Amino acid sequence: MTSMKKAVCILMAALMTLSLVACSKTKPKAAEEGFTPALDASVGGSIRIAGGYDNFEALEAEFDRFNEYYPNVELEYTKVDDYSNMIGTVLDGNDAPDIYVNYSWMYGRDQYKSSIDHAENLADPALGLDLGCIRENILLNTDDGSLPMVPVFSNTYGMLVNNDLFEKEGLSVPKTYQELVDVCKAFRDKGYANPMMGFSQQETTSVFTLVTYPYFCETVAGDPEAVEKLNSLDASAGEYMRPSLEKIDQFMKDGCVDLKACDEIENNYDAVILRFFEGDVPMMTCSGDTVSGTKKRESRSEAFIANPFAYSFVPIPMSDEGAVFLDMSNLQFSVNKNSSNLEMSNEFMRFLITQGELNEMAQNKGLMSSTVDLSFNSMYAAFGEVPEAKVLSPEEIGMSDDAVTQLRLAVFSVGRGDKTIDEAIAGYGSAE
Amino acid sequence: MKKTLIITVNVIIMAAILVFVVLYAQYVNKDSYRRQVEHFENTTVTIERVTENYLEGEQSICDVWARYISSNSMTMEEAAEYIRSSHVLANASAHIVSVETKNGLSTRPKLGSSDDYKVSYERMDILKNADWIEEIGESINITRAYTNPMNGEQSLAFCNRITLKGQNGSKENAVLLRVIPISVLEQKWVFPQSELVNAELSIIDRSGDYILKGSGFKNSSFLEFYKSYNSSDTESSEELFSRIKSSTGSVTMLNSHGQECVLAFTPVSSKAGWTMLGIVPAKDLDIKNKNWVLFGVVSVGLLVLFLLDLHYTMYLNKRLQITARKAEAANKAKTDFLSTMSHDIRTPMNAIIGLTTIAEKNTADEASTKESLRKISLASNHLLTLINDILDISKVESGKLKLSPLTFSIVETVENLINISQPMIKEKNIEFSFHINQMEKEYLYTDQLRLNQIYINILSNAIKYTEPGGRVGVTLREDKSDVPGCVLLTYIVEDTGIGMSPEFMENMYTPFSRQVDSRVNSIQGTGLGLAITKQMVELIGGTIECQSEQGKGTTFTVALDIPVADRQREDMQLDPIDVLIVDDDEIMLQTAVDTLQSLGTSVEQAGSGLEAIGMIEHRHLAGKDYNVIIIDWKMPEVDGIETIRRIRSEIDADVPILLISAYDWSDIEDKAILAGANGFVSKPLFKSTLYDKINTLIGKESKSIEPEDDYSDLQGLNILVAEDNEINWEIISTLLSMYGITSEHAQNGKICLDMMSKAEEGSYTLIFMDVQMPEMNGLDATRAIRKLENPWAANIPIVAMTADAFSENITACLDAGMNGHIAKPIDVKLVIKEIRRIKEGR
Repeated sequence: MTSMKKAVCILMAALMTLSLVACSKTKPKAAEEGFTPALDASVGGSIRIAGGYDNFEALEAEFDRFNEYYPNVELEYTKVDDYSNMIGTVLDGNDAPDIYVNYSWMYGRDQYKSSIDHAENLADPALGLDLGCIRENILLNTDDGSLPMVPVFSNTYGMLVNNDLFEKEGLSVPKTYQELVDVCKAFRDKGYANPMMGFSQQETTSVFTLVTYPYFCETVAGDPEAVEKLNSLDASAGEYMRPSLEKIDQFMKDGCVDLKACDEIENNYDAVILRFFEGDVPMMTCSGDTVSGTKKRESRSEAFIANPFAYSFVPIPMSDEGAVFLDMSNLQFSVNKNSSNLEMSNEFMRFLITQGELNEMAQNKGLMSSTVDLSFNSMYAAFGEVPEAKVLSPEEIGMSDDAVTQLRLAVFSVGRGDKTIDEAIAGYGSAE
Repeated sequence: MKKTLIITVNVIIMAAILVFVVLYAQYVNKDSYRRQVEHFENTTVTIERVTENYLEGEQSICDVWARYISSNSMTMEEAAEYIRSSHVLANASAHIVSVETKNGLSTRPKLGSSDDYKVSYERMDILKNADWIEEIGESINITRAYTNPMNGEQSLAFCNRITLKGQNGSKENAVLLRVIPISVLEQKWVFPQSELVNAELSIIDRSGDYILKGSGFKNSSFLEFYKSYNSSDTESSEELFSRIKSSTGSVTMLNSHGQECVLAFTPVSSKAGWTMLGIVPAKDLDIKNKNWVLFGVVSVGLLVLFLLDLHYTMYLNKRLQITARKAEAANKAKTDFLSTMSHDIRTPMNAIIGLTTIAEKNTADEASTKESLRKISLASNHLLTLINDILDISKVESGKLKLSPLTFSIVETVENLINISQPMIKEKNIEFSFHINQMEKEYLYTDQLRLNQIYINILSNAIKYTEPGGRVGVTLREDKSDVPGCVLLTYIVEDTGIGMSPEFMENMYTPFSRQVDSRVNSIQGTGLGLAITKQMVELIGGTIECQSEQGKGTTFTVALDIPVADRQREDMQLDPIDVLIVDDDEIMLQTAVDTLQSLGTSVEQAGSGLEAIGMIEHRHLAGKDYNVIIIDWKMPEVDGIETIRRIRSEIDADVPILLISAYDWSDIEDKAILAGANGFVSKPLFKSTLYDKINTLIGKESKSIEPEDDYSDLQGLNILVAEDNEINWEIISTLLSMYGITSEHAQNGKICLDMMSKAEEGSYTLIFMDVQMPEMNGLDATRAIRKLENPWAANIPIVAMTADAFSENITACLDAGMNGHIAKPIDVKLVIKEIRRIKEGR
């Protein structure tokens, strides 16, 4: 009798275990972090998101986590051609998205008015977005206090550092300009022909801009008059560029970069990354956008596959007081206030705008997170260590695009030796 | 086989079946999955055909427009107007774009405007180079999905290069785009089957870039998509991509969710380098639910079957255990029985053997030898009783006990009962009384043997379990029965014995049950008597009741409806004589008075010896002596012998006096005769007994009285004894010779038959025939003798003398033609009685 009971018990226990295994579901990861769905989880439908990327894998991954709460909601991501110019039309048309990528520089420009006008005020407390998790520098409200978009990624200028090379040669990543010069010399002495490189063929995110722009911002930050003059493109405002032009001139003279070698880099994205992956360049200037492409390109670089190394992205120290962290928003999300699916769209935003989810998506995308915590990602951790006084937001400074373009052209021409400092200053406002 | 082993084997078999079911289900699943994949491939091919037709249709429209525009040398405005006029699709539009400027006109105005038809592809990459657009009618020229600059809708366009009339009459190269919203295409471009609801389609060009792209296809190129989510080296990816572009088939890959998918591919035949792709989650093709149901049903079924079998097996086991326990109990009972029998048989056997030895040693001492032989006889009788009981209970329990009714005398039965009981009564000095009441019918018709057993068993129990000095009283009463032709014979035995506990009384009719009592253990018994008695009472159709109290005594009452025999004694009437009956027992006195009066006598009674003496003296003085005086032996103050002695010495020396006693009077015989008693009569005083005794005393001998010690009538008889056992032959021949009877021996039935065949008439008075004999048994021999031609021989009385002592044996003997039955071991008195019965033709 005892044996029978035991046999039946074992059999029943096996069946129960089988049932439990069959019935159990993994607890949603996000649930552990505190997201509580506000809508009926069985609701179906799709959220249409429009952007300029061909594909947005990081968003797909984020949506997979959202699906743990709303399994019947689908993501429809659409790449819009000529995004900046077309998004207004798309928003007015039949294919209007529920959520779309937006840019803060569109503020105040008529041609992009539609993109701003369609945006819901995300600062509305009723939406319940955790805006406190985003760095204030890049969270830009309009004049009336509304918030048409929230940054989901951020961007900055800096340099990729081959940590293994530094370690191998017993050198430290430079924290001041002098250290930078010394490190470059040390590497050169050790046989490294190009201790520091960058894209140099065009002024856009050229090595000159990347090196100088943060330094420049520091010189005009807190000087609204200078900014105003610079924005007016008045030729006299060119003098405000002098310290920066002198810095780039000195930088070139200090022999940190070999311009000829840099000119071989064909573009500021793929080519920059693949050159860095050759493994013989200790420092490679680039933007955060470029950094985001490194992970995918590791497998495309035969040199890197053969000799992989550790690398990170750090600010470039252009003064002896240390580096400036130029904190810029990258991709921002707006919710189409005319969306037929507004409730679920807001629910997705409420899910996304948290430190955990934004960090997760930024890490997947390879971009810098927009949250206050940068330490979670070793790639960008160095920027989190920059003192608050050295963190600057171009949007807060208020430089116009045209003014920045004039600066880029000036440093590009001086850096390349095409113009003298005085010529470049004199040409401010009229350079092309 | 141990239970655990059986369970283990069952579980293993169940597991094996389940494994088989799982494996088979997996095989079926795989096969089903393979067919589903095949089906998906075929569906993809079918959709490719449909898509191709659609694309060709749309392209041909574009071709017609392009040919017309080119051949008619139209300006851009004219071409736009022409197309506008031939548009039929509400959602479609056409763009005519200069190859040089990438600007042109749309057939539909810009969104939000009614008159702005300008369209620009300057910032679109699709027309950066128009070389990919082949000549009109040669191919399908379709763009990738892109954002329609006029309305922002995701669209694709069928293209043709056209020649327009430019300003100044020059020719201007342009591209005609027939723009179709993707939403229109999506409505048509779906898998028709419900199981493929999650399937998606794409068309890629030779470099893997998407021409048309389902949402499940990620990245801008399929190759990039594949590499992004599938761990594969570049070489393998290229090889796979090459295979996809050049053949029809399917592969398994992971999608952007890490989900296993089936990718079906087939070339688009109308456009070289293009490939149609279909992708569907593998689980959608892998229908397993039914198999789980099958698995579940089989599991539950097997479990239920297993539990039922287990339950049934346990039920059977339980029954087997019960049966085994019963068998063990029966075996134990048998062992106990044999143990008891061994003890109970060895006890009298010990007496027989021991006393025989003593007798052999003391042959010179006649008194001692006689005493030994008497005790041997007692032990033998007990042994015989025991054996009979064992055989009886065996037959009772097997249901084979059957009644063999015969006509018998109840008087003889009672006499026999008393004779048997007397030795014990005497030995234990028990006060014994036997009352009869209204016993009118002497001859009854039933199985006398069984009736005797009932009466003897109950009485012997009463005597056995009554302490010395105690009292046992028997009452036999004849009442009118409800059954026609029967009398209701009630037999009541009361004792002042040890009594029975209520617990024992519940099981007292169970074989081998004896009350646990130190006094009981010292009493011989088989524990079968009551069981046999009850069975026999029920067999005869009567009832047995018992009332008992421990330490006070027991009363058994047996009531039987017994048929009255046809034959009865003739009317018994004495001369009108004066009879004095003397007894201290009032019931006995009254019964006797009634009986004597029914015999026609004038009866007076006295309650004591002194009273009787007074009455006799008074009569004597008056000259009216009693004709017969009947005096009880045991009376207070003056007993029967003393009373007789005083009568003889003080009053009358001649008056016939009968001494009555319920006891064995052999011990007092001499004293009584010396005191002047003329005869003895045993209680109870049956009518026939009194009739015969009084007649004897007054000089009128009754015909029915059998000579007791006169065996002269037996002299000269010659008996043929058929007996195969020499000792038995020696015993019977010796016993017969003691009565002056000669005998001849036949060693078996055949010899007996031969001897009878050859015997002269009158050679033998009768035959004592053993039954079980070699060559020819007694029954066959009897039948053969009955068939002899010689009438004397054929009718010679044959009496069975056999150890086959059961009723059915007796019946079998009578059926075979025998005239009587004597059971071994033989009682010589019964033998003589039987010889006389035969001789007298009774």
